[in-house]
Amino acid sequence: MKSRFMEKISIAQVLTYILLTVGGIIFLTPFYWMFRSSLMDQGQIFEMPPIWLPNPIRIDNFKEALTIMPFNRFFFNTAVIVVFATAGVVLTSSITAFSFARMRWPGRDKVFICLLSGMMLPQYATLIPTFLGWKFLGAVGTNLPLIIPSWFGGGAFYIFLLRQFYMAIPKELDEAAYVDGAGYFRIFVQIILPLTKPAIVVVILFSFLHYWNDFLAPVIYLNDVSKYTLTLGLALFSGMYNAQWNLMMAASAVVAIPAIIVFLFGQKYFVEGISITGLKG
Amino acid sequence: MTIKNKTNKEQISSQVEKPGCIFPDVLSNFTKFGKKGKLNNICSYGGHMKQETNNRVPMFEDIPENASNIRLGHLANTKKKNAYRQEAILGVLFAMPAILGFIIFTLGPMLASLILSFTDYAVFNKLKFVGFENYINLFNGDNPFFYKSILVTFYYVALSVPLGLTFHFFLAVLMNRKIKFRGIYRAVFYLPTILPIAATCTVWMWLFNPDFGLLNYLLGFLGIPKLMWIGSEAGVVPSIVLTAVWIAGNTMVTFLAGLQDIPRQMLEAVDVDGGNAFHKLRHITIPMVSSTIFFNFIMGIINGFQVIVQPMMMTAGGPNNSSLFYGMFLYKEAFEFSRMGSACAIAWVLFIIIMIFTGLTFKSSPMWVYYEGEVKGK
Amino acid sequence: MKKAIKILSLMLIVSFVFGTVFVGCGSTNKEPVKADASTKDAAAKKEPVTLKFTYWGSPIEKKAVEDCVKKFQEKNSYITVDGMYIPSADYLTKITAMIAGNDAPDLGYMDVSLAFKMAEEGKLCNINDFLAKDSELKKEDYLDNIWYNWAPGKSLGTNSACESITLLYNADMIKAAGVETPPTKAENAWDWDKFVEIARKLTIDSNGKNALDPAFDYKNIKQYGVQFPTTWQYYMPLVYSNGGDYVNDDGSKLTLSSKEATDAIQNLADLVNKYHVAPSPVQQRSMPAPSVGLQSKQVAMILAGQWNLLDLGAAKLNFGVGVLPKLKKSVTLVLGSPTVIFSGGRHPEEAWLLYKWLQNPESSIDLQAGGLWMPLMKDWYTKPELISKWAENNPSHPEGYKDAIMKQTIEKGVSGPAYYVKGFSEIDAIIAPALEQVWLGNKTAEQAIKEVEPKVQEKLKGRYDNKKQN
Repeated sequence: MKSRFMEKISIAQVLTYILLTVGGIIFLTPFYWMFRSSLMDQGQIFEMPPIWLPNPIRIDNFKEALTIMPFNRFFFNTAVIVVFATAGVVLTSSITAFSFARMRWPGRDKVFICLLSGMMLPQYATLIPTFLGWKFLGAVGTNLPLIIPSWFGGGAFYIFLLRQFYMAIPKELDEAAYVDGAGYFRIFVQIILPLTKPAIVVVILFSFLHYWNDFLAPVIYLNDVSKYTLTLGLALFSGMYNAQWNLMMAASAVVAIPAIIVFLFGQKYFVEGISITGLKG
Repeated sequence: MTIKNKTNKEQISSQVEKPGCIFPDVLSNFTKFGKKGKLNNICSYGGHMKQETNNRVPMFEDIPENASNIRLGHLANTKKKNAYRQEAILGVLFAMPAILGFIIFTLGPMLASLILSFTDYAVFNKLKFVGFENYINLFNGDNPFFYKSILVTFYYVALSVPLGLTFHFFLAVLMNRKIKFRGIYRAVFYLPTILPIAATCTVWMWLFNPDFGLLNYLLGFLGIPKLMWIGSEAGVVPSIVLTAVWIAGNTMVTFLAGLQDIPRQMLEAVDVDGGNAFHKLRHITIPMVSSTIFFNFIMGIINGFQVIVQPMMMTAGGPNNSSLFYGMFLYKEAFEFSRMGSACAIAWVLFIIIMIFTGLTFKSSPMWVYYEGEVKGK
Repeated sequence: MKKAIKILSLMLIVSFVFGTVFVGCGSTNKEPVKADASTKDAAAKKEPVTLKFTYWGSPIEKKAVEDCVKKFQEKNSYITVDGMYIPSADYLTKITAMIAGNDAPDLGYMDVSLAFKMAEEGKLCNINDFLAKDSELKKEDYLDNIWYNWAPGKSLGTNSACESITLLYNADMIKAAGVETPPTKAENAWDWDKFVEIARKLTIDSNGKNALDPAFDYKNIKQYGVQFPTTWQYYMPLVYSNGGDYVNDDGSKLTLSSKEATDAIQNLADLVNKYHVAPSPVQQRSMPAPSVGLQSKQVAMILAGQWNLLDLGAAKLNFGVGVLPKLKKSVTLVLGSPTVIFSGGRHPEEAWLLYKWLQNPESSIDLQAGGLWMPLMKDWYTKPELISKWAENNPSHPEGYKDAIMKQTIEKGVSGPAYYVKGFSEIDAIIAPALEQVWLGNKTAEQAIKEVEPKVQEKLKGRYDNKKQN
């Protein structure tokens, strides 16, 4: 009986590996394509049938790309925005979501729907009024319009996400603490937060990627090239009529690396044992 | 014992100050109250689960009492009232950042755009109110793009939301298995989401090339004739759906996090009872991540109706407007034709459409979304 | 419940205030600042002046503009230019937001359609006024077909640079196929049949057979004879060449549906679908930019903007230029996008100084000599000592350039429809999708345009007074 059980698992495992490897190769193609393009000259990139191995390898593309785009400065600009904005998102969205998920107050669900509705109006319709608002506050040209909103709940998306996770935690947990005399804030910090680490990691990750890859808001609010972010830097490689694809791909690859590293760190938290189960088992 | 028992409070805080104490604290609470609670019920998976879910749809009126019974049953009525008030005040306080943020950064611009939708605003002209003209011009067929873009967008949402959810759900289940190099696999599947979108779109245009593209090359092996992909009116939306699913790694990550909430014991219980993988999926996994499915579904709808970047980069709306998405239509109206007033009307029509779909989903949620710790508002 | 209503209504009130403030400051602050007094003072005392100038462009263009602006500042030390580079993909969005925020630059590059609309609302300066007062320049010094006049005597400016459409080819591939070199003089321009024949000889399948060979496999083409983007910039020269036009003389009727026009478009579409010598728009999506296609030998000839000379020159390719093939007469299309001075700026005089500076080929000589731009001034096309500064002795301007592009542009250049069709961007938004069916071979040009003609007719609002030289 037991051996059959094991056998079943191993077949499932093998199938999993095959599926994942085949799928992985398919999913890896764009990255590989981008990487090999970054080592070619313009003409080779588009040659059909495609060239898989660049020859000669043009490492200089990277040097050239990072000269056109002042990488260090843009990296610094982006990092400032990403760090402050992500901190704001995590801190404020988590406590807000706690209130929406696990506390009772009049009009709560209606207010929540209002928050959600903010995501339903296309941003191009509110772009000009929002811009005028920031203009009114004198903040256009600075990175404040990119950071400040994240300190006000961080956006309905994150609140909604965390709310869903908070609502999945058994009620008995905080009730117990509540009976023991803990306040709401303490329950939030000591019970809910530790139990929803994966969800918090998701919020950090999404928020990081969002601000890292954001294009529209920086282009609208930043006026000075010296304040530009990395994604705006990527746009430097395409003009009105032409684009320097090889350099753009090289720069894209470089820009993607920090994001990949953040993901690799973050995904470690998606392990059973961090969440509720581990406590018991 | 009162809730704000001072000594108790001090005890807890003194415990907290010791490092590493959060977990034991939670642990003790959990074992004390959790064991005889729901977990045991769920562990004997199956029918119970369903029952639980059904029981979770109480009548609206009796909720406050229900909830208060659990929480504050042993308190006198006045204290109950005070506790309520306190909870309400704290609740609003905790939610205040978002409420303020909404009022300051979202509501104003939204209302402004609503007002503008009744004007001929073109950014640089003298504003004039035109009543419902902008809306009428949309619905009476004067605008050559309105109905077309609505059809295209509905088609896209109907395809991409279910496909994206299913694909990334199963991907997440696979990614949650105990496999070697799990982190690497996860990163590989998330890579398309991380990369700058301009890069991914370029790759897909190459894959879609009817003559040399990889896709037709592979189909050739199966004896399937060449497809035109984004080059044909029939193929363009499904092709864009394909790329959209490809870069929707965020859905997978959300599911992955949701899967961490499933107690392993429950899955093991299925094994013990001789259930197979399908049973696990049907009776444990799906109900337990239903709140995440709900989230991804809603966000799929909200974002799907507003999709703009990939079609803009890959097809620019062609061929013959068969990938003219609603968002692109709006963008053109607002910035290329500088008819901001009309663009706002277009946006508000979409707002109402999305609102209806989201509302319906929320209304249906008690039937299929299961929250372990739902606390109803009042 | 009552509380909920209270909270909600409070939220509504507060946000309403915000909303109206936003809208309000968008509409009320639009009054142009009284400029005259302050500028006269500035000129007299040379008080420091700051100009905001917005532009787009590739890295090379960006650098050239930066250098150009720097030299300007050195010459006019009291003026500081706040040069704002905006990525071209979002230029429109950003500039619209700036205008809405009453934060328009003093001068900047501009989208043609938006520029016309703004000019009609009085938001752009009439460049003629500046010219009338200017002692150095006359309107006659400029090329005739680069002006954007929105009403008689009122001009919002000229192109940022002059551009035209031409034929470019890879000389090695022409030689290898043993075909004639494309002619550089208008009077020798190929007629259409000749052009098709050459293109067929230059199109080669994976077995090495050309498109004239009965065994030619058009599903596996390795090298295309010709490539052209399928937008109006490339079919309109042929329409003009065939005696057609976009709209009639008063702009009240679409004439793109006339036989002259549809025949010309059909001829181009036949290159793709009948003769299989040009890639379809779908295939082009996964092909490189035409100039890169020339380098990688995917295509032998391209119908392209002369700005491609920059890339070709930089790639050190052995390439050549020729005049476009003709249907009835040899023409080329002149295009570009305007640089404008926004009204309401504090320093119109200084803005004009910078405007002139940017127009002066001397100050952006690198871009002219590099092949990206052509000068806006007539003298630079006629006076040998000026021509030698940009169109000679550099890799971007090969032999024959002066005939095929330079002379062709001033002698046979026709301003494209964007210069004179009112509401052109909206009309093109209807025409372009309809024509996509033609490029894909699903419909004839006549069918496709006739189908949308009623819709286009509704959108026609007339024509701007712009000289259409031929």
